Amino acid sequence: MNLDPKEIPPDPASFTVATRNLGQITVREGEVITFSPGLPGWSQFHRYVLIRRPQESPFLWLQCVDNPDLALVVINPAEVVPQYQVAASSAFLKELGVEEPQDLKVLVILTIPPGRPREMTANLAAPLLINLLNRRGRQLVLENPQYSRQHRVFPR
Amino acid sequence: MLLLTRKIGEGLLIGSNIRVVVLEIRGKQVRLGVEAPGDIAVLREELLEPVAQENRRAAQVQPEDLAEPVRIWTIKKE
Repeated sequence: MNLDPKEIPPDPASFTVATRNLGQITVREGEVITFSPGLPGWSQFHRYVLIRRPQESPFLWLQCVDNPDLALVVINPAEVVPQYQVAASSAFLKELGVEEPQDLKVLVILTIPPGRPREMTANLAAPLLINLLNRRGRQLVLENPQYSRQHRVFPR
Repeated sequence: MLLLTRKIGEGLLIGSNIRVVVLEIRGKQVRLGVEAPGDIAVLREELLEPVAQENRRAAQVQPEDLAEPVRIWTIKKE
């Protein structure tokens, strides 16, 4: 039986978000990453999804699904600083429920000043830590960060 | 917001396993002791603000500005 794609009922476990930066996206419930208590700056929004567009590799988007206007460009910090180390305390990892290091995904947020992409900086001081098993995430804020909040990605 | 008045040595409990105690008052400074289980992170609130500011700057990204960094990365790899 051939169904017109328009007649296929939508997957009940998925929903669409009309985003500002990435157009209309379909999100499956299982892909949602919950940041509790949200990211600093937007404590009211907790649900995000990682979007990988092959033509933009190695950059990824962290799109908020509760606020279509909120999306951040993120990257694996090893792409920026190969020997990057995360100084997360065991308390922090416990809060995320991380038991095995391989379940932890680390990303950093990039700031690209509008119209000046060569001035892109990476916030190495406050990485995003995501537990891939339970899909819980949190931005790590340290008392004494050893890395810069505005690490220049391209040399001047 | 719940308001409580405490004296030195007095504390309060948050849930069943977080305890905050007033240890010392010196002029405008209050020294607090926090007892919490190892899986609860305790952080001075003002440390969040610079991170929030940087996050807000990052959210101003224009998607077309990603083309140039992608191009530079591709060259770097080759």
